[in-house]
Amino acid sequence: MTVLDRLKDLAARSPWIYRINSGSCNGCDVECATTALIPRYDVERLGCQYCGSPRHADIVLITGPLTIHVLGPAQRVFAEIPDPKVTVAIGVCPISGGIFRESYSICAPIDKYFPVDVNVPGCPPRPQAILEGVAKAIAIWRERL
Amino acid sequence: MSNLLPLLIAALLFPGGLFALAFGLALKGADRRVAARLQGRVGPPLAQPLFDLIKLGFKRMMAPDAACETVFFAAPLTGAAAMLLAILLVPISGVYAPATLTGDLIVLIYLLAIPGVALMLAGSSSSSPYGAIGFSREMSMMIAYEGPIVLIAIAVGLRVGMASGSSPTFSLVDIVAYQKSHGALLFDPVMWPAVVAFAFFYPANLGIVPFDIPEAETEVLEGPLLEYSGPALALFKVMSAIKAVVVLGLGVALFMPLPFTGLIALVGWIVQMLALMLIGVTALRVGTGRMRIDQAFVFFLKWPLALAALSVVAAAYLTVGVAP
Repeated sequence: MTVLDRLKDLAARSPWIYRINSGSCNGCDVECATTALIPRYDVERLGCQYCGSPRHADIVLITGPLTIHVLGPAQRVFAEIPDPKVTVAIGVCPISGGIFRESYSICAPIDKYFPVDVNVPGCPPRPQAILEGVAKAIAIWRERL
Repeated sequence: MSNLLPLLIAALLFPGGLFALAFGLALKGADRRVAARLQGRVGPPLAQPLFDLIKLGFKRMMAPDAACETVFFAAPLTGAAAMLLAILLVPISGVYAPATLTGDLIVLIYLLAIPGVALMLAGSSSSSPYGAIGFSREMSMMIAYEGPIVLIAIAVGLRVGMASGSSPTFSLVDIVAYQKSHGALLFDPVMWPAVVAFAFFYPANLGIVPFDIPEAETEVLEGPLLEYSGPALALFKVMSAIKAVVVLGLGVALFMPLPFTGLIALVGWIVQMLALMLIGVTALRVGTGRMRIDQAFVFFLKWPLALAALSVVAAAYLTVGVAP
């Protein structure tokens, strides 16, 4: 194992999280913000930290069915995130549109527009499922470093 | 040449350079860990700030199209360099005394202003509206908290100068030496208002809740740091880690140097720094919400400034009263 590999192992313990709400009903965001990732289950023990700016982010959490209006801004914000990055889709909406499917105003499934690495289905997903999704994303991110 | 080698060691290994960086990161790690415990969470490992730095080294560095790139990338360099210089001026009682040619308290106060200026340059050159808001807030905060620290320095200088000579002294080495023989200024009633003023100054200078208004994540998305990524952001993290050591070290040197030498003095100093960090920073930021910029501005121009001025007046009065 070279020094570079060791450094990458250490670097993989500091994944910073950025959330994109692409027209979600807020259910998944509540799970992310208040249950799974901060006070109760504490994702900071994995080294994660919420960041306000996409330029600081490593792991992107996308919630919602990607409405037509938000498609452009979401793609611009996604492009602002420096490589290497990993995308996690939270909830069933990014996969199929969920309760909004067949609506005229959504673009789901979002993997037509974003390179989704991990899907965490559920409406909303359980906190444990979100944590597992983030853990899988960290493993993928380590490969890309 | 004989002067140069100790200076280089002090700048690169101890107490500057590597030691300051490692200790600053450890202080930040302890702060995050204890804050998590106070909130009933598990919290990150102690070395988390180091992992963050290494991670940022692997990320791509980007600059906005409309940014002034020279200033944009010079700002973090300037801030980190100023802090590497400033740590040289902070004495550790019984362990390290800065050489006389490097400077004194006044130079240190000037150097302490540079990280704030670097953040202002960063915010204004980034072309982001959030950066511009952060710039104006950082400037207001600096105007608010620079006054008290200057008055605190004058109060301490007067008090020590009164006892050891006739004129005020701004040499940190003399201030530490005076306290070792006469007892710490922390236990001097004349200095109590200045101690309280310093207790308000250092959280503001370190930029933590309730005084983290320029970088408020939920309002202006980290303000000046918004557009930084990768190694440039890492330099800002280095700057703030060393700044923690400089500001807390200044507080220890001004008010409570230990009367020991050697290893005991170093261990005692580390314990003092940790206590200052956990009580003045961690407990404060967990227990309070963020102030608005106008509230913080008025607060600093009212209370810490008045308290520091009270110490100056009391010290000056005693000087005049005692002198023949």
